[in-house]
Amino acid sequence: MRLRIVTYAVLVAGCLFAIFPYFLTLLTAFKGPGQLSETMPWEPGLPPSTAAFHRLFASGFGGYLVNTALVTAGITLGQVVFAILAAYAFARLSFPGRDALFWVYLSTLMVPPVVTMIPLYLMMQKLGLVDTWAGLMLPTMLGTPYAIFLLRQFFRGIPVDLEDAARIDGAGRFRTLVSIVLPLSKPILVTVTTLAVVANWNSFLWPLIITSSEDKRLLSVGIALFKGEIGVDYNAVMAGSLIALAPLLVLFVVFQRFIVRSVAVTGLK
Amino acid sequence: MLRPAPRRTRRIGRGRQTAVAYALLAPSLVGVLGFLLAPVVIVLVLSLFDWKLLSTPEFIGLANYRKLFTDSDVWHSLLVTLYYVVICVPGTTILSLLLALLVDRKLRGMKYFRALLVIPWMATPVALGLVWSWIFDPGRGALNQFLGLFGIHGPAWLSSPVLAMPSVAAVHIWQFAGYNMLFFLAGLQNIPRSLREASSLDGASPVAHFFTITLPLLRPTMLFVLITNVIGSFQAFDTIFVMTEGGPGDSTEVTTYLIYDEAFKKFDFGYASTISVLLFAVVLVATISQFVYFERRTTYEVSG
Repeated sequence: MRLRIVTYAVLVAGCLFAIFPYFLTLLTAFKGPGQLSETMPWEPGLPPSTAAFHRLFASGFGGYLVNTALVTAGITLGQVVFAILAAYAFARLSFPGRDALFWVYLSTLMVPPVVTMIPLYLMMQKLGLVDTWAGLMLPTMLGTPYAIFLLRQFFRGIPVDLEDAARIDGAGRFRTLVSIVLPLSKPILVTVTTLAVVANWNSFLWPLIITSSEDKRLLSVGIALFKGEIGVDYNAVMAGSLIALAPLLVLFVVFQRFIVRSVAVTGLK
Repeated sequence: MLRPAPRRTRRIGRGRQTAVAYALLAPSLVGVLGFLLAPVVIVLVLSLFDWKLLSTPEFIGLANYRKLFTDSDVWHSLLVTLYYVVICVPGTTILSLLLALLVDRKLRGMKYFRALLVIPWMATPVALGLVWSWIFDPGRGALNQFLGLFGIHGPAWLSSPVLAMPSVAAVHIWQFAGYNMLFFLAGLQNIPRSLREASSLDGASPVAHFFTITLPLLRPTMLFVLITNVIGSFQAFDTIFVMTEGGPGDSTEVTTYLIYDEAFKKFDFGYASTISVLLFAVVLVATISQFVYFERRTTYEVSG
């Protein structure tokens, strides 16, 4: 009994520590300039003020939000679709060079993105894609080795018989993939999509170097440049951070059960 | 079965299957070969060139590497990176293991606690960096205001050369402890119940049980967590970019920051590539040596 109380106490403290920065962000974002200095950081500003959001959106922040949502959706869609195709080929088809190629894919997991950044930039420059949507999305949207790996492992666990039955009925590879394999793969698809959305929404270094015009700016780059542009306007900075943090938080609350279970899957060999 | 099957349902020939496979693989092949492997080759080649903005690339052999070995900025950045890794990796690993032990218990509401602890993992690092800069703000920030309640005059966390790095690293630990907890939790739950309970019957203390039974069985999880964290923290950039910009002085100037600076501020692509190669080599050595260490430990115990 005492052990249980101690456990709960530690857990509550840990969870408070995990989420208090979100609370501070929320509180600070809705304070007026005067309230920032009159209140403690953990006290709400009363009455709440949306002045910081007005300042933000007046400086083009709405555009960054739309850009980020569209780019995240585009890259994620590409990554998931192309990873499914590749994973299916690795899991179900036999062709010369399959195992060697799979190892090549896996070995690229060890390449730190920062190492490929300069060549990628120069390649995009050669292709005339610097500061374009294509340049922003192309390098990552063709499928990630990690997603391909996770999907392949899962596909291999699906009994081949199910597919064979459909194939005998005359269904082609593509139809069996869409109508048999994918419906059975929902858990791993949620995992792969979640990982992709989080990575793409949060991505910073590549957008920072490949885009320069403001109409292509993403949220992460926009708020990073705040510090320089707005100065120490903590209300606006926190309002911007809140806008960057909130969508993933909502996504998490909705899919919480799925995500917690599925993230752990990725750690298993 | 005695007569040949009609053409439409006949087993697809080998050549056809290969063609289908490569058609399915085509997009990811372009991605993996073109945008992951080719850049590695290119960065190696670039490291042998002198190439600054607008100048024509000129082959200079190993001159960049000679410069690298005497460049105190590079070695300093590597030390700074190692310092960051040395704080982040044990900090995250130990904390996440402790959290996993805590949430492994069957208690009411446990799944909500687990979920709450994972939330920081999803946070946009740049936004997070700004939020923590506000928390660490020496005057109005939450941390020093809180310390002030107890009459403690808090320091200027991010503008002190001594405190800046531990502060930045603390944010990393805060962000990833809950996420890594999930892996340890999965590892713990894979341990057979008989092994979990056996030695408690023998009267072994929980601590002894943990070190002699649980920890060795968690070795695969431990390897995964260590490797992903080492690779991840060697590449830290986003939070440092917004929290300290490498400062004060060069006290948080990690190697990724130096590469960014050389390539995209000074436009010295050749030399920046050389530093990238060095960082890649260091990450590879760190990764492989962990594999070797864990392999050796495992075989040792199997044979002993």
